[in-house]
Amino acid sequence: MQFRLEKRAEISRSMLYFTPVAAVLLTMIMGAIIFTILGFNGAVAVREIFLTPLTNSLKWQDLAVKSAPLIIIAVGLSIGFRANVWNIGAEGQYIAGGLAATGVALITHQMSGWWLLPLMGVAGILGGMAWVAVPAFLRVKLNVNEILTTLMLTYVAVQLLNFLVFGPWKSPTSFGQPQTVLFNNDQILPYIIPGTIVQAGAPIAIFIAIFAWVLMSKSIFGFQIRTVGTAPNAARYGGFSANQTIWFSLLIGGGLAGFAGMLEVAGPFNRMVPQFPTNYGFTAIIVAFLGRLHPVGVMVAGIVLAISFVGGEIAQTTIGLPNAAVGLFQALMLFLILAGDILVRYRIKRVGQKSEVSSS
Amino acid sequence: MPDNAPNRLELNGITKQFPGVLANDTVSFNIAPGEIHALLGENGAGKSTLVKMIYGIMKSDAGSMVWDGEPFEVSNPKEARAKGIGMVFQHFSLFEALTVLENIALGMDGSLSLKELETKVVEVMQAYGLTLQPDRMVSSLSVGERQRIEIVRALLLNPKLLIMDEPTSVLTPQEVKQLFTTLRQLASEGCSILYISHKLNEIKELCHNATILRGGKVVGECNPAEETSKSMAEMMIGGSLKEISKGETNIFGDVLLNVGSLSLAKSHDFGTALKDISFEVRQGEIFGVAGVAGNGQNELLAVLSGEALAKGEDDIILHGKSIGHFGPNHRRKVGLCCVPEERNGHAAVSDFSLSDNAILTARHRKNLVKTGMILNGPSVAYADEIIKKFGVMATGSRANAGSLSGGNLQKFIMGREILQVPEVLVVSQPTWGVDAGAAAFIHQALVDMAQAGSAIVVISQDLDELLALCETISVINEGTLSKAMEVKGISIDEVGLLMGGVHGANNVDQANDIDKEVSNAVQA
Amino acid sequence: MSIDITIAIIITMVGASTPLLLAALGELVVEKSGVLNLGIEGMMLTGAVVGFAVTYDTGNPWLGILAAAFAGMAVSMLFAVLTLSLSSNQVATGLALTIFGTGFSALFGQAYTGKPIALFKSVFPDSLTDDRFLRVFFDYSPLVYFSLFMVFVVWWFLQKTRAGLILRAVGENDHSAHSIGYSVAKVRYGAVAFGGAMAGIAGACFPLILTPQWVEGLTGGRGWIALALVVFAAWRPGRLLAGAYLFGLIATMELYAKAAGGAFRILPSELWASLPYLATIAVLVMISMRRTKSSSAPACLGKPFMPNN
Repeated sequence: MQFRLEKRAEISRSMLYFTPVAAVLLTMIMGAIIFTILGFNGAVAVREIFLTPLTNSLKWQDLAVKSAPLIIIAVGLSIGFRANVWNIGAEGQYIAGGLAATGVALITHQMSGWWLLPLMGVAGILGGMAWVAVPAFLRVKLNVNEILTTLMLTYVAVQLLNFLVFGPWKSPTSFGQPQTVLFNNDQILPYIIPGTIVQAGAPIAIFIAIFAWVLMSKSIFGFQIRTVGTAPNAARYGGFSANQTIWFSLLIGGGLAGFAGMLEVAGPFNRMVPQFPTNYGFTAIIVAFLGRLHPVGVMVAGIVLAISFVGGEIAQTTIGLPNAAVGLFQALMLFLILAGDILVRYRIKRVGQKSEVSSS
Repeated sequence: MPDNAPNRLELNGITKQFPGVLANDTVSFNIAPGEIHALLGENGAGKSTLVKMIYGIMKSDAGSMVWDGEPFEVSNPKEARAKGIGMVFQHFSLFEALTVLENIALGMDGSLSLKELETKVVEVMQAYGLTLQPDRMVSSLSVGERQRIEIVRALLLNPKLLIMDEPTSVLTPQEVKQLFTTLRQLASEGCSILYISHKLNEIKELCHNATILRGGKVVGECNPAEETSKSMAEMMIGGSLKEISKGETNIFGDVLLNVGSLSLAKSHDFGTALKDISFEVRQGEIFGVAGVAGNGQNELLAVLSGEALAKGEDDIILHGKSIGHFGPNHRRKVGLCCVPEERNGHAAVSDFSLSDNAILTARHRKNLVKTGMILNGPSVAYADEIIKKFGVMATGSRANAGSLSGGNLQKFIMGREILQVPEVLVVSQPTWGVDAGAAAFIHQALVDMAQAGSAIVVISQDLDELLALCETISVINEGTLSKAMEVKGISIDEVGLLMGGVHGANNVDQANDIDKEVSNAVQA
Repeated sequence: MSIDITIAIIITMVGASTPLLLAALGELVVEKSGVLNLGIEGMMLTGAVVGFAVTYDTGNPWLGILAAAFAGMAVSMLFAVLTLSLSSNQVATGLALTIFGTGFSALFGQAYTGKPIALFKSVFPDSLTDDRFLRVFFDYSPLVYFSLFMVFVVWWFLQKTRAGLILRAVGENDHSAHSIGYSVAKVRYGAVAFGGAMAGIAGACFPLILTPQWVEGLTGGRGWIALALVVFAAWRPGRLLAGAYLFGLIATMELYAKAAGGAFRILPSELWASLPYLATIAVLVMISMRRTKSSSAPACLGKPFMPNN
């Protein structure tokens, strides 16, 4: 008995929804096996990472906090990926946005008023956009590959962050700690559910995802992004400018990553510190793919990845699972979702042995 | 040809199933040593699939083959070549960035060094009167020269059977003659040739026997010399041919499209630059652009559609309005629509639904978008209208473009542009790879559109198509467009020379003069 | 600048360049076959941690290098199965490989953090390696000579052998290669495996010849720079050598800037640390400006191939 892949005339809707779910389930099973081999209690590790965050209601607020930046960044990235624009340096844009917001916060530190946060938000968006504008410009004008430039600038952003918090921005009252002063009360995101740590980032993430959904599915802009991404020649023929699409999709991705940076620095961190880069920008790539580059899918996927982060912390304390294990789980999930893609476009067909002609 | 020798190749009941299509249905026929055997059929009749199985690229689902009296099965092209089967592909299997010699080496299984190979290549070329420079990059060669590489590659194996898949579709009439000479010489030396084509005149001229394939089945065998082109065509199509019905009047209106001194630099290494192209098309006229593939047709379409911008805004004038600097959207809005050659990924997005594909080019003229949002109802309605009026076989406007057959998708694309009723329509290869029924439908739609008052430009490599459709044609060669010629009283020899690049102005003028004399004489 | 400092800089530069050169040579072959593997960083990290662990456990750097090569090859097969057999998106899968390698190396390397090994030094006699001038030729790890030898091997393979011709043909036009009868998938599997082994060895260079310990994420984006080098070299091994040494020089400047005072101190150390990345962008810009006409990238680079048989 042999198997053969046969191209489907149209992509399979059911497989489109089924494969991400299967990928998550398979990740749990394979993860359990791998960690058992590595000498941990695999089943417990999987339970702690994937189930405890859901069953323990105290952890739900952590999920909301962790998933918000992931969703915001991934929504932006997924728009770019749809257009076949590969911004993989969202981490750098996230840092740049955080730095820009911090800059505004430091300048306005002695001021007060409701307008401080919106101003920091705008600064964050502009910071992220500025950081991605260089790759966008180089791609459009000189056809320089954006994968490498966005990524290289991420390393530069980390250095810029270090330079600022170890140098000019270091708080005089921090006893030598490399960190800025604490933001003032009007520069910190409000808590939206009393008694929890859930700040304004969570509802904003939901709003952004829904807005992106409408934009991508109903507007001619979304149509343009999809067309440029799937069939660039057809897009040109249809009158859609590839360069304009590259600019838009990179600026949206960078702007949202920068905005997420602002929400983080004005939210959980309250100040800029060297530990600010938390790999949200890279994890958001997994979120985008697991969510099938669809804003609503991204929302679900953002929560799944947040579960793995929160669960990873739980497993670290309860069974001493190293934090790096979570990264392995996440990579495994991405591998499986990519492997599952083939079922969307192909069907597996069983072919019987063909009657052999015996050669004399 | 000794009569008692076994057949070179016998096919018995070869069957191949593809998803949704039975590509070959119990196909059987024989080829004798030294015979030139035609495999005749429309696009999609299953010819290419059949030869791919003989050459080992695909496996049959059922049936058997006999080679020189022995059972025969090959699982890959290497084994086929070892048996003595050579193949020249329709879409050449060449590597642009490699040299001629490297390309030939890739087609050889032996372990000859490049030096030894070069000596052999030169020998073979001398024996068959072919010329090629071994160290040239393929990307710098003409289509005819590229085909010669494939032929030399096949000949080096001393083939017993040579398969030629649509070998003349990209050649000028003169190159075709040269090719036939080579093939006849080969056959006289005992090599069998399986000649795949849908061009009836060639088959009549060259082949000893013909097998006719339709819908994957053998529907007839004949001796082409004893048949008429019409009788073979009817066997091939399975019905009687429908003529294009044209009105009698040839009175044209205003000039709707005026192209003057249009030049365009080449956009990439393997592209062609357009040089000083001028022509005009009047209301009611169908203007044909003939030429061998790769002589600037794609570039011409791009610069007319707005995908590439002209240097000067006056280079392209649409009904008195300069549009050379307009992009595709703007040109559509003012009344110029285009259909490029490539259906999948250029004229249509195969992963998109038909209604989305309607939005792709009709959103402005048909008001399918309002304040940046797509109007779903009107988009679906327009797609449905195209499907209905152009008889597109599809499950509905939600069907993916990629799920349609070539002919149906082409009908949809043509319908999408024609129903927008542009003043000028430019189409490239409107019936390339399309079945005869759809081709006839498309031709009629173009003629009707011209008669309703549009001006139409048809770019095509199929000279017969242009002669049937157009009132005026000119020839594009290496990015230069010849003078416009009236189809009535045209000289095929001259068109052939122009296609082959003989564009000494004197020759053409002389030929024009002769033509004028001829047509004058006829009128007198 | 005194001759001693010049020689010291050359020696540091060659060492810093070696992992870049090895990884980029592997990727060059991969890309020539038409595959874009963005997972170099992940394969390097895997090779680094496995190479370190085996060297530490056995005390034999040769075994460490061999293990690193196999480890790199093993993880590259993950990429190969996904992209070549399951035709997944090469860009996304390469990223996944990098994320995987980062996670795996961090997890696996935890047990080895803070443990020292000996540097894998020159095998030539002290009389040569300690000589004031001759050491510029002899005071290198065998891995350095291996990387130079591989420049020649890759050039010879691609230009002079039939297998190399077939590999180039597959990268140039996969459909044609398939219809002539070459297995596109087999050739590409082979190329990806070679690229994985080279990246694995490149990763092992970090603990073996640069800093003799395991540090999480010690490759610091060098895998991505190697990727840029392939573009910079226009897919030619000889130019790859020049490019890798140029980047080695920039990285060396960073080290000397940190160590030396004086003029270097005027600029913040973070700027020096950013230099390799900024230089990569600058180089990419230069290539794009220069490459007006003939692009030498393999025509099928990054495109999935699926025969319908």
